[in-house]
Amino acid sequence: MPMKGRFPVRRTLQYLSQGDVIFKSSVKVLTVNYNTAGERSEGARKFVFFNIPQIQYKNPWVQIMLFKNMTPSPFLRFYLDSGEQVLVDVEDKTNKEITEHIKKILGKSKETLEREERERKKLSHPGTFGPKKYHLRECMCEIEGQVPCPAFVPLPKEMRGKHKTAAKNEA
Amino acid sequence: MSVPRGAVHAKWIVGKVIGTKMQKTAKVRVTRLVLDPYLLKFFNKRKTYFAHDPLQQCVVGDIVLLKALPERRSKHVKHELAEIVFKVGKVIDPITGKPCAGTRFLENLSDSENLTEADTTYLSEKLQELKVCSTNS
Repeated sequence: MPMKGRFPVRRTLQYLSQGDVIFKSSVKVLTVNYNTAGERSEGARKFVFFNIPQIQYKNPWVQIMLFKNMTPSPFLRFYLDSGEQVLVDVEDKTNKEITEHIKKILGKSKETLEREERERKKLSHPGTFGPKKYHLRECMCEIEGQVPCPAFVPLPKEMRGKHKTAAKNEA
Repeated sequence: MSVPRGAVHAKWIVGKVIGTKMQKTAKVRVTRLVLDPYLLKFFNKRKTYFAHDPLQQCVVGDIVLLKALPERRSKHVKHELAEIVFKVGKVIDPITGKPCAGTRFLENLSDSENLTEADTTYLSEKLQELKVCSTNS
């Protein structure tokens, strides 16, 4: 049973997480003005159809507003925290060119993203055990080569507590 | 409890004015795209904000940019009008700076009326030269 819609791949988590435009923290609002007809607005329409879900998924705190058929020329407008406004003309541009352009002007660079990733990794130690929310593994029995979980494979008699206490009481 | 400066989460927002019946206050509807967890599709979720508009220059239908106030002005008003992005009925295309309505400009863009006779003859001569060059090459 296939998914409903024209390009249902847009509605998959894998597609959404493939978006590589992550805005700097100073970008607060993005406004897209485009037209529903006309060849010059074609790139803008494709951008709204394919790339806006990816951008909103990666930047959940940026307000995105779409306006249709308000002006003859399509454009993007960013409102930054400092009050500055960035106007991007997207007439006669393909949606790939638009994403590359905004990634270059207002996106976080690869070094910044890598640095943030390293900072996040530093917070948690990978060698500890505990709940899945905070640690990688829950118990030593999960690792290959270690003693398997006694819930699935009973421990040998020498390791069991009742045998150990019986041996201690005898001696 | 002590409230820090700029206590509102939304510092800058863009919305549409839906009501101006209050004195010096505009009711603004702000839409954000929210992901539906099952359909994995974005839908507009609306929220109304009240903005302080001292000159009462907003009309219902304007698209406005609001700025968060450092502290609340009253129980509901936490933002003020920063600028009117698009005035209803008098939309100005930011790329060209000319008034427009929908997908057409309201005034004629070309400046052919301001050209004099000498300019038109000069231009037509230049066009002739271009045509000759293209036939030669």
